[in-house]
Amino acid sequence: MEKLFDIFLLMLDGTQITLEIFFVTLLLSLPLGMMAALGRLSSLKIISRIVEFYIWIMRGTPLMLQLLFVYFALPMIGIRLPDIAAALLAFTLNYAAYFAEIFRAGIQAVPKGQYEAAKTLGMSYPQTMRRIILPQVIRIVLPPVSNETINLVKDTSLVYILAMNDLLRVARTIVQREFDMTPFLFAAIFYLAMTFVLTWGFKKLEAYYGKY
Amino acid sequence: MANTNTGEIMLKMTDIHKAYDNLEVLKGIDIEVRRGEVLAIIGPSGSGKSTLLRCINKLETIDKGSIAIKDRFLVQTKDGEAVYASGKEEREILSSTGMVFQQFNLFPHMTVLENLLEAPMQVKGLKRSEVEPYARELLGKVGLSDRADYYPSQLSGGQQQRVAIARALCMKPDIMLFDEPTSALDPELTGEVLKTMRELAAEHMTMVVVTHEMAFAREAASQVIFMADGNIVEQGEPETFFAAPKEERTKNFLQNML
Repeated sequence: MEKLFDIFLLMLDGTQITLEIFFVTLLLSLPLGMMAALGRLSSLKIISRIVEFYIWIMRGTPLMLQLLFVYFALPMIGIRLPDIAAALLAFTLNYAAYFAEIFRAGIQAVPKGQYEAAKTLGMSYPQTMRRIILPQVIRIVLPPVSNETINLVKDTSLVYILAMNDLLRVARTIVQREFDMTPFLFAAIFYLAMTFVLTWGFKKLEAYYGKY
Repeated sequence: MANTNTGEIMLKMTDIHKAYDNLEVLKGIDIEVRRGEVLAIIGPSGSGKSTLLRCINKLETIDKGSIAIKDRFLVQTKDGEAVYASGKEEREILSSTGMVFQQFNLFPHMTVLENLLEAPMQVKGLKRSEVEPYARELLGKVGLSDRADYYPSQLSGGQQQRVAIARALCMKPDIMLFDEPTSALDPELTGEVLKTMRELAAEHMTMVVVTHEMAFAREAASQVIFMADGNIVEQGEPETFFAAPKEERTKNFLQNML
């Protein structure tokens, strides 16, 4: 029993790294994704093209490769980031690209008539986006955003490749040292618990935004 | 019937041309609407009547011609090119128009009352307490006082369209534009919307109505225009227009509508 508790304490540190990557990535990639979506829909061809290229790169290469690139290749051109910052940069850029496509689809799913109604009532473009379009977009994108968010919980484990002691890496270290499989069980329970909480949270959000 | 040809000119469209790529949809239209008049525009689908209406509040732009609302130019043609008023002036000019759409286009995430309050508060910067009494008065007028806290999805099509009329009126426009307001409604629901529009006409609201409702055009309009293929084929006061149409195309169209 005491040994179990020790393992649990060791794993708490790993959990902290995992949670940190998860929350900071989400916090940064959601607004960045929204900006990218608006850029993608911009009538300025050059902006739209740049964003399109960015999304293609991010979705077209493995997240693992992007992590390695930020961690190993950037220092070669003189950009040296702390481990955690490198991981966050790669995660944020990657997830923002996926969120951008989700938001773009959401924005385009709002009928043209909504823009026209707002326009004939004298509302400006920023007012129309903020007050009329985005609240409807949130409702549309909640299910796919929920999906991506749950993916992110599990993708955080990729940072093991940067020798960061996240939950899964800590678990593996203990397993290899002690020949005890319990840490894997702990890790599985943690990921499942995170997913459970997120699923519940998104369900609440969907109910709130689905009231009309 | 509102007295015609004496009131202030509210809307003047001159030589309106518009084409999509190579397809000419408006081929030189002239329209004049005075205060308190109700202009009904009828015609087969594809005749350009909705496009013409949508040009009035710049949901569509024109290629040539001029549009003046209350003697201020929204767009004028200089050296063969349509030039629109600057942003601020354009907004001022367009603020005197209100529009009702075929598909209602209510804001689905807002209650009926919030739909009415949105533009006066956001655009005019009014306080809720300054708008709400008027908004509720308008809801009373369209017979929906008891639906203020409902969401649009909880209302019938006819009720939604009446809310849309009230929402447009809440900005206190001088000209109301209606784009086939009853075309998306079940037949038994068109009556309530037409009744609201008749009441509005009786209060001398200036209205431009694109419609397939011949009975409405006959009873409530002060002027009827028949459009086909981007041209005005025939125009007149409803009594003479419906009783004795001159053009063959008008006769055929009216026969098919009855």
